[in-house]
Amino acid sequence: MGRGAEDYVIVAEGLRKRYDGVEALRGVSFRVRRGEVFGLLGPNGAGKTTTVGILVTLVKPSGGRAVVAGHDVAREPWEVRKRIGVVFQEPTVDRDLTAWQNLYVHGRIYGLPRRVIEERSRELMELVGLEKAMHRPLRSYSGGMIRRFEIARALLTEPMVLFMDEPTVGLDPQARAKVWEVIEELKKRGVTVFLTTHYMEEAERLCDHIAIIDHGRIIAEGSPEELKSMVGGDTLYLVAETRLDAEKLLRIASGYGEARIAEDGRVVVLVARDAPRLLPRILEEARAVGARIVETRYVRPTLNDVFLMLTGRSLRDEEGGWRDWARLHLHARRG
Amino acid sequence: MEAGGKGAAVAEPSWLAAFAAMALRQLLRFKAAKSRVINSLVFPLIWLVFFGLGWSAAFNFLGPMSRSLFGGLTYLQFLAPGIVIMTVFMAGFGSGLGLIWDREFGYFKEILVAPAPRSALLLGRIAGDSLAALLQGLIMAVLVTVLAGWPGVWGLLAGLAAAYVATLTSAGLGALIALSMRSPEGFQLVINLVILPMLFISGAFYPIDPLPAWLKALAYINPLYYAVDLARGVMYGVYSTPPLLDALGLALVTAGALGLAVAKFSRTYIA
Repeated sequence: MGRGAEDYVIVAEGLRKRYDGVEALRGVSFRVRRGEVFGLLGPNGAGKTTTVGILVTLVKPSGGRAVVAGHDVAREPWEVRKRIGVVFQEPTVDRDLTAWQNLYVHGRIYGLPRRVIEERSRELMELVGLEKAMHRPLRSYSGGMIRRFEIARALLTEPMVLFMDEPTVGLDPQARAKVWEVIEELKKRGVTVFLTTHYMEEAERLCDHIAIIDHGRIIAEGSPEELKSMVGGDTLYLVAETRLDAEKLLRIASGYGEARIAEDGRVVVLVARDAPRLLPRILEEARAVGARIVETRYVRPTLNDVFLMLTGRSLRDEEGGWRDWARLHLHARRG
Repeated sequence: MEAGGKGAAVAEPSWLAAFAAMALRQLLRFKAAKSRVINSLVFPLIWLVFFGLGWSAAFNFLGPMSRSLFGGLTYLQFLAPGIVIMTVFMAGFGSGLGLIWDREFGYFKEILVAPAPRSALLLGRIAGDSLAALLQGLIMAVLVTVLAGWPGVWGLLAGLAAAYVATLTSAGLGALIALSMRSPEGFQLVINLVILPMLFISGAFYPIDPLPAWLKALAYINPLYYAVDLARGVMYGVYSTPPLLDALGLALVTAGALGLAVAKFSRTYIA
């Protein structure tokens, strides 16, 4: 056995999917390590849901290959299904039943004994902060509660990997923060998570490893830091008291990166790596030569800057739009 | 909890556990939705009262001669078993409609991604729904026999047994149609095109013997015809077709419908 099979929970190689002549995926490859939170980040329509669909065995790939939890998704879907937990983009609960009834039916379908279901349900409902709502019908749950409940339900079988397709889409900021807390707790416990998102803050905050997808292709991959370093570094703004001070500062700053004087001649702009550590050093040197600084600030690149650099488009345009809101709420109303 | 841990034991789904879990889920849903029960009883009751009592009065006006048309039964006796079958048959189609709603509300995906055998999931669901339908059939059977004449406990139970098989038929057909449909509206349309003709040429409302040959031929491929004839026979002792043939016809159609539905469900992907 090679190293790969043991260390990677998901291996996708050249996945393709064509729907009625439209190519949703044009050769997607990536690997997800055991114990990491892996994020597939990209705008709506980039192919995220199709990718998840293939990995959880509900969409047949038109080409390529995926091995999840040690089994090929196309050849052994039953083996894959036993070993994964899935939280779909839209709620997939029975709202007429209570949380406990939903958990019990789920557990029995997956072959767990009642005693195990009871034990783990209590533990998991506590983990997602719903222990008091165990015997309420899900109809009375809010969107955020349903999402957290679905995470608990997906973990009931102790899956090797938890899939989450846009876990916080359409949730209000408070509900989103709660879902994030749950995912961070899972991360601490070493649960392998595969999530898709078009919120860059979400990817940045939660993921160890991110693959950026656009038009059915992975266009960049790495840790959030690695991805952001592609943009070239942080931008520091040093506001000097006088123009003379600014010129002294410019000489110091030039030693660390690309520096120039902007605005009314008192602001030094420096592009360099690792601003948080660099700034104290610059302040010290400035004091030594008597250059007076009245204000400093720095900006770190975001994943949006990475996306912008790679595609010329902004991910931000996609964010929190009415479409997300409508998608969830129209669904909830019918449900 | 150690999800994702190395060598974590993987639970093995069992056919029977998955079957029972789905049946339980359907029964819990049934319990939660009392209005659906009442709804499923109202339509057949309207038929019984406004159609049955009306024609019964008209036939009584003709005198005893009319009874020869119904194999010696009163019109109400003739109609009663059909009303029971109609109740459970429609409830069975409701099972298929449930599949459509599950798809609309997302629960369908929870089922599709489960590792349990699809046959267990679908048949379990049908078992749960058909038990709920049987309860409705029992209520209806008691109501109609009070009006039409008591068939005895065994007659009633045998009639319900026939009704139960009819439920399985319609649940199988309903599932088959639902799995081929995308919207609730489409399902409703197909149901109307299928259910009404099936009910009318089932022999539930009038004997099919005097009908033209082509209509009779349709009746003989209609599972409802066998169910109604069987129920009427076991309840009031009057058959148009030998009971064994009724049972055989019903069993064949039921097995076929269920088998096709399971095959269809087993091949169902999202895309």
